[in-house]
Amino acid sequence: MGTRRLVMLGLFIAIAGVLHAVEGWLPVPLPVPGAKLGLANVVSLLVISLYGWRDALTVAVLRVLLGTLLGGAFLGPAFAMGMSGAVTSVLGMACVYHYRRSTFSLVGISLIGAVIHNVAQISMAAMLVGSVGLFWYLPYLLLFALPTGVGTGLVARFFLARLAKITC
Amino acid sequence: MQLTRADKWLIGILIVAAVGGIALNIAVSYVARPQKAEIYQEGHLVKVINLRPGYHEEVRLGGVVHFNVVVADNGRIRMAEADCPDQVCVHTGWISQPPQQIVCLPYRVVIRLEPAANADIDDITR
Repeated sequence: MGTRRLVMLGLFIAIAGVLHAVEGWLPVPLPVPGAKLGLANVVSLLVISLYGWRDALTVAVLRVLLGTLLGGAFLGPAFAMGMSGAVTSVLGMACVYHYRRSTFSLVGISLIGAVIHNVAQISMAAMLVGSVGLFWYLPYLLLFALPTGVGTGLVARFFLARLAKITC
Repeated sequence: MQLTRADKWLIGILIVAAVGGIALNIAVSYVARPQKAEIYQEGHLVKVINLRPGYHEEVRLGGVVHFNVVVADNGRIRMAEADCPDQVCVHTGWISQPPQQIVCLPYRVVIRLEPAANADIDDITR
């Protein structure tokens, strides 16, 4: 692992961890429990497109560890939900990026990641409380995931365009 | 912003799925009438409360700490109090029709509503 890559991945983990913790503090003005902006997803997208799925998975796992430690939710239900959502969405997005890059733009991949994230989290929460009824929240979360998924995809796209000029 | 054709299809399908799901959700909640509330703790059914007009009941779950206080009143039910960190269950407020539900993830408490047998008349005891 080259020094530059090590430093970049360290930076990405730090950024993603802080985003993960801070977005938990942001109030979402919607009556949907658990709706989040998914800001840390920007970092997952960037690492997938810059370094590939292995590094993206590492960053995602360390990000959840760091973010929940900072946010005080370490090893709680929020940790299980964050971890399941982060791991599955990174793997899903990496698959699509790898095999269907020409079909979907970064925005589409981000949306797919947001949807997988929500489905995984709801499944995890349903398992934790032992109630299938939680899936009734899914349509509301999906509706919320549309603008946030497109937003994170656009942020990642702009960031990549700028990054190309700085050379990484 | 440039979107590919697949992106647009994805957005369209997601909008349809989400709006359809929400419509189904609302439709189901309008059809059902008399309700009973089932309170689950860690996946086990611990209490069933019939929600009838004029009926009031309070249930306390858990111990001195890690508690939830459930209040049923006049055909509705809510989580009146809990010492969980996120308070999502308390902020959910009153619910009265399925598939509305109250979930306390930290303490794994779920309050679900189910259609009850006709509760218009009082039960007969022999």
